[in-house]
Amino acid sequence: MHVFARFVTALALVAAVLFVLAGIMLTYEVMARYFFVRPTIWAAELSQFCLIWGSLIAAPWCLRERRHIRITAVISGLPRGPRIGADVFAMAVVAVFSAVVLVYGYEIFHDSFIRGRTTGTMLDMPMWYVELSLPFGFAVLLLQSVIEVWRAAQGHIAAEGEHE
Amino acid sequence: MTVFLILFALFALLLVGVPVAFALGGLGLSMLILGGFSPLMAPQAILSTLDGFILLAVPLFLLMSNVLLKGGVGRDLYAAVQAWVGHWPGGLAVATVISCGLFAAISGSSVATAATIGTVAIPEMINRGYERRFVYGLLAAGGTLGILIPPSIPMIIYGFVTEESVIALFLAGVGPGLALLVLFAGYSMIYASMKGMGRSEKATGAERRRATLRALPSIALATVVVAGIYSGAFTPTEAAAIGFAFAVVITALVLRTLTWKAFWEAAVDSMATTVAILLIIAGAKVFGKAITLYRIPQEISAFISDAVSSPVMFVLLVAGILVVMGLVLEALSMVLIMTPVLLPAAMGLGFDPIWFGVFMVVMVEAALITPPVGLNLYVIQAVARATLGDVARGAIPFLLLMFFCVVLLYLVPDLALYIPFKL
Repeated sequence: MHVFARFVTALALVAAVLFVLAGIMLTYEVMARYFFVRPTIWAAELSQFCLIWGSLIAAPWCLRERRHIRITAVISGLPRGPRIGADVFAMAVVAVFSAVVLVYGYEIFHDSFIRGRTTGTMLDMPMWYVELSLPFGFAVLLLQSVIEVWRAAQGHIAAEGEHE
Repeated sequence: MTVFLILFALFALLLVGVPVAFALGGLGLSMLILGGFSPLMAPQAILSTLDGFILLAVPLFLLMSNVLLKGGVGRDLYAAVQAWVGHWPGGLAVATVISCGLFAAISGSSVATAATIGTVAIPEMINRGYERRFVYGLLAAGGTLGILIPPSIPMIIYGFVTEESVIALFLAGVGPGLALLVLFAGYSMIYASMKGMGRSEKATGAERRRATLRALPSIALATVVVAGIYSGAFTPTEAAAIGFAFAVVITALVLRTLTWKAFWEAAVDSMATTVAILLIIAGAKVFGKAITLYRIPQEISAFISDAVSSPVMFVLLVAGILVVMGLVLEALSMVLIMTPVLLPAAMGLGFDPIWFGVFMVVMVEAALITPPVGLNLYVIQAVARATLGDVARGAIPFLLLMFFCVVLLYLVPDLALYIPFKL
């Protein structure tokens, strides 16, 4: 398997672990509050951190595995040519969106990094710890969506992933 | 004119197969750029969405129900309920509906509910001579209880978008959820006795005790989660975390049905669904920002208040719009696109935002069982290896019952509002 593909898969698995960690931290928080009467100052903030990073780093994997929800009722009935055209267009929209968010997301991150802004919460983390997830996640997503455009153009029609 | 163009662009993007999150986000971003607003708003909107504490409940409720699902809790629940009501006329159907209601209380998703109970109940009911279409329709409809009886992911999202209390929304879903449950069960009993469909033998006391004991931990879990939220002992997000932790304890230690492999599958499934859902919310937030800057909700609200003078007309209009949109859109996108547009008009006409949320969710449920895009139909089709046509036709009577429930909800708003505000 290609190095990049492995990297994307690894990111998704990290995201799965991050969500489980968030569950563990918040359960600990409630127990700490009621049983030890010592609420934590970190559980809520760090679990939110897990949600933000997890959602953004797993997005490329979701794109590749066709786990993003989309409407296929119309395009699934199309003949092969137009179907390929629709897929190329759909993935190109993702690529353009990712590119723009990457550029402006980087600006947000860079600004906080230079100015040394912090969250102002009890942990008072530097803001860029969180904001770095935007340029990072969307950079990987941009690469993945370019790959998807190319694959779609080759006539590769992926099966949709299942969802609950 | 602008409104028309934007709607046209949105539906074109969606129907051509652009993932919903990126159709909403991309259109919102283009509108920001074309309107001379800063595109910085797009990444900011994405970040602020993911920074919502209430949305952390989404992966955790999914983890909870996926772990229970992999632990085979659906089978235990169904067996326990069947032991009690299986010998009634239409008993198996009633057991199916009640099992759906119980599973709904430990799951926030209607597709998970339909899949879990459907896997167990469909073969059982068909073996006992129930008519196939009826069985499919019952399961597709029973599954929709999953998003009305708390916890409910669409309600978390409605609460997030409107900044209303998710706790109040959860509680407001209980009344209509139980009403639908009773309607479904009553219809099943009448239908089954008229058609003379089979019952199961009356279970002995010992069988009942054994089955109930096995289902008890899951029922206790549902009770802890709902009671904890209701009493204010913990927030919905914390309840979801605790629910997940207990689900692991129950399936891994008490029932001993959860393997490492199954746990990992549950974690990956939950991750995939979470990311898909949260990115749609983030995309909708970008879109929402753009349409607000273009003053579109105000325009639509003004248009509606000019055209529609009475609340009845408004409800009928909204119901009509949601039914039509439900033909092609799935549940979350409907809630996310329509809420910011319709809620200002609804509140202008004096509707309670919590009531409106419940109304939206019931309508969205109806959308889940109308073809061509009805997720629950697909699930039952896959579980039962049936044709979409059979499942959809079977669902029609239940769809009518749902519309009846909407009428009831309109005539008696307390059906939803009594528990959160007057109890």
